[in-house]
Amino acid sequence: MHFIDRYAYTNRIRNVDPACKVALALVVLLLCLVLNRPSVGLLATAWMWVLAVGVAGLPAGDFSRLLAAEAFFLVLMTAGVALSFSIAVPPPGTTWMWQVGPLWVASSPASLTMALHPVTRALGGAAALNFLAMTTPLVDLIDLLRRLLVPSWLIDLIAAMYRFIFVLLDSLERMVTAQDSRLGYRSFRRGMSSAGMLTSGLFVNALQRTRRLQTALEARGYDGELRVLPSIYRQDWALWGTGLATVATLILAWSVS
Amino acid sequence: MTPILEFERVTFCYPGQKRPALRELSLALPAAGKVAIIGRNGSGKSTLFLHCNGLYRPASGTVHFAGQPLAYDRGALLSLRQRVGIVFQNPDDQLFSASVAQDISFGPLNLGWNEADVRQHIQAAADLCEVTDLLDRPTHALSGGEKARVALAGVLAMEPEVLIIDEIMGNLDPWVRQRVMAILEQLHAQGKTLLLATHDLALVQGWASLLVVLADGQVAFVGPTERLLQDRALMEQTGLAAIWQQAH
Repeated sequence: MHFIDRYAYTNRIRNVDPACKVALALVVLLLCLVLNRPSVGLLATAWMWVLAVGVAGLPAGDFSRLLAAEAFFLVLMTAGVALSFSIAVPPPGTTWMWQVGPLWVASSPASLTMALHPVTRALGGAAALNFLAMTTPLVDLIDLLRRLLVPSWLIDLIAAMYRFIFVLLDSLERMVTAQDSRLGYRSFRRGMSSAGMLTSGLFVNALQRTRRLQTALEARGYDGELRVLPSIYRQDWALWGTGLATVATLILAWSVS
Repeated sequence: MTPILEFERVTFCYPGQKRPALRELSLALPAAGKVAIIGRNGSGKSTLFLHCNGLYRPASGTVHFAGQPLAYDRGALLSLRQRVGIVFQNPDDQLFSASVAQDISFGPLNLGWNEADVRQHIQAAADLCEVTDLLDRPTHALSGGEKARVALAGVLAMEPEVLIIDEIMGNLDPWVRQRVMAILEQLHAQGKTLLLATHDLALVQGWASLLVVLADGQVAFVGPTERLLQDRALMEQTGLAAIWQQAH
């Protein structure tokens, strides 16, 4: 999570209008879902890779690793579609079958194709969302929500949660280290007890922090709404161009298949 | 000359606590001064500060700002909070936004300034506090010293006349501390009143034009630092003698 957040703030298209990036990611996600062709999903994945690495300047390794992890889970989940397991001998005419111990594993081109559909479809969508997550910091998405006239109480809540996740993680880390240095995790039993105390400690910590935050906000004139100035964004023609090419190729791939 | 801030027999008690945090405290602070406030933890420094811009209201007694007793209605509080800014002890308590620029914009926007004005004030405050190149970094990626300077910029962007700094120095390394002191020097040259809570008597000695020692919710000493250092009895009584000797 930390490395995604870090790239979101440091990539080359960080200052591009988030509306543009969100629109691109959502359109590609939607096309993957609606058109539902393996070729579309694979093309979308490839284009998002080009956008992330070529246009946004993300390291190829990290973007690919994230995709690979997602692909692994997708393959795992669709294994049940591609392969069938049974104790009985598969019926004659089954294309591929192997005997593993008492178990018969069978598969056919038809079931492979059936499994390929959800995998490619989901992979294309995941690539689009990875691209969005790794190029757009949450503060920019919050700016966008504000432009879309989402109620301010909801926006304030999202913004505060995002900010204080890191503060909470920070105090969590320090408390765990402090417990550990006094041997709080030397055995499973002690560990469970320490984790319990840690949780209640965190709650108290969070409550006190909220009070101090409220005071500090009021000192700067807080009246119930967290008003902040939106950032200034730029347009990026390379992103627009590549984005349009992506959408055009996806539709083309669908119409020829 | 009228003092900029004046406390008149102010008593304040936190809910659920028997001991008052401030006990009939009276104190007058001169405008454009460099005031250092020292006192042990729990002596009432923070409580005193929170009275300065109406965040706390005395149980009895009055706080005056520029000769006028404080009013506690919305409009009066907003204008008071613009004129008296507080930088809190822990920057993580103050920085609520994940974006540095947006956090600094919060105060000025609450004052109802227009966007161009706000942007200009963000820039000026960021330049002064040397955080200009942090403006589009996320808050959680900043170091402690950077956070402290951003918190300071967030208060300075509101153009306060009185700046109160609550013991941020303790967590800062000597380099950042030196930078912060240099910023305070510039603010002093602009005619702002500075209130600095600290535990560091040596820091105070060369800097403060007025020293206030708080003990037990009351003022134990007000005056130039040199006079406190010569007053053996008071030094002993407030426990500062031992600390001072150790430091030298």
